Amino acid sequence: MIEFRDVRKTYHLKGVSKTILKGLTMRFPEGRNVGVLGHNGAGKSTLMRLIAGAELPDSGKIIRNVKVSWPLGFGGGFAGKMTGIENVRFVARMYGEDTERMVQFVKDFSELDASMSLPIRTYSSGMKARLAFGVSMAVNFGCYLIDEITAVGDARFKRKCHEVFETKLKHANIIMISHSEATIKKFCDSACLLHEGNLVMFDTVDEAIAQHRKNQLK
Amino acid sequence: MDSVITTQARVIGALVLRETRTAFGDTQLGYLWAIVNPALSTLVLVAIFSSIGRSPAFGTSFALFFATGILPFQTYTKLSSSLMTAISSSRGLLSYPLVNEVDILISKYILIVLTYLMIVVVFFSIIIVGDDAPLPVHAEQSAMAFGSLTLLGLGAGTTNAVLFRLWPTWKQLESIISKPLFFLSGIFYVPSDFPTHIVKLLSWNPILHGVEWFREGYYANYNSIILSKSYLMTCAIVLLLLGFLGERLYRKKSF
Repeated sequence: MIEFRDVRKTYHLKGVSKTILKGLTMRFPEGRNVGVLGHNGAGKSTLMRLIAGAELPDSGKIIRNVKVSWPLGFGGGFAGKMTGIENVRFVARMYGEDTERMVQFVKDFSELDASMSLPIRTYSSGMKARLAFGVSMAVNFGCYLIDEITAVGDARFKRKCHEVFETKLKHANIIMISHSEATIKKFCDSACLLHEGNLVMFDTVDEAIAQHRKNQLK
Repeated sequence: MDSVITTQARVIGALVLRETRTAFGDTQLGYLWAIVNPALSTLVLVAIFSSIGRSPAFGTSFALFFATGILPFQTYTKLSSSLMTAISSSRGLLSYPLVNEVDILISKYILIVLTYLMIVVVFFSIIIVGDDAPLPVHAEQSAMAFGSLTLLGLGAGTTNAVLFRLWPTWKQLESIISKPLFFLSGIFYVPSDFPTHIVKLLSWNPILHGVEWFREGYYANYNSIILSKSYLMTCAIVLLLLGFLGERLYRKKSF
């Protein structure tokens, strides 16, 4: 599904260099849900942005033959001056989806009702998160990228998110970053570990977690 | 999956529509202001200059002469300054995998060119009817001049965007550097009337060539001694290459 070919990525900021990937060649296994483990600052989020195509590598190639989502829950592309509906329409147009169907879906899902016709800058952070989650669920992706999923809304709404997500997972896969081992274990059936510029794939989540703990003790 | 071209076209279309909402979204008349605003400020300039009682440097209508200079000029400056900050002000959009810097620049370019095209048409219609000015003689020449200036603006704006990304002070510096262009672009005078040594200096400014070309298309016997279409085109191509090569180097790279 997603393949890395000799991908290198280094950041340079004010004379400090940080290598995220030093020549990674790897295939993400098809049909599996993959967790990504690593220290704080190892570059997990950057890896996610590379997979999404939100950021380009210094060299090498990333090949995707599935429709990959943007990092989930992300609302940074919303324009504050535009209403919820207009923002949804923008994403729909971009992805070639039926605009009105998508607006309806997000309206129903996010429970924002009349607020959908108000500019986004009047939204609370919870409302924004609900909108963002609704929009990502409205587009049918083959692979969802989840960067540290944060709980949205009350218990009932959380359950609803969960349900939609479960139905999506029947036809799609996920790549997920989480600091919670329990979350990774729940959603993923394999995991990889990003450590000092290398990304290593493990067959089971348990093996990856064991290695991750060992690294942390060093 | 769709082909790259159709996806790109769809994304740019979505961005253009989005831009009409974000630029003037919360005002009453919305996008109409994008047209009314520069049109009014140009109208004020025309009114001031004609009330001073200056006779036009060329032709019979002062408003017409001024408009043939200021409108192409403003199209260029609007492009070069707006495109400079276009990417940095919509960084969030780049997190959508489908959107890259070129899409943002092109969509903004399309919107600005369409807006100014509308202003040009409205303005000249008013002047032709209201000030009894003549119709353009070679409208296609004026159109080509306008088109070349928009490409020059696209090139300059993209180059500015790259420089601004590398060195944020560039924005201030650029606005200082480009201030004198208002006086150097032949907006309210005929460059050919000046002595040779001044003409030589002025002819370094590619925008001036655009204005001269526009006028030569509009008036029957403007006969510019300066105009070099190939110089304007060369400048545009060089800036476009510089800008888009620079953009490619830094595309989708945060620091």
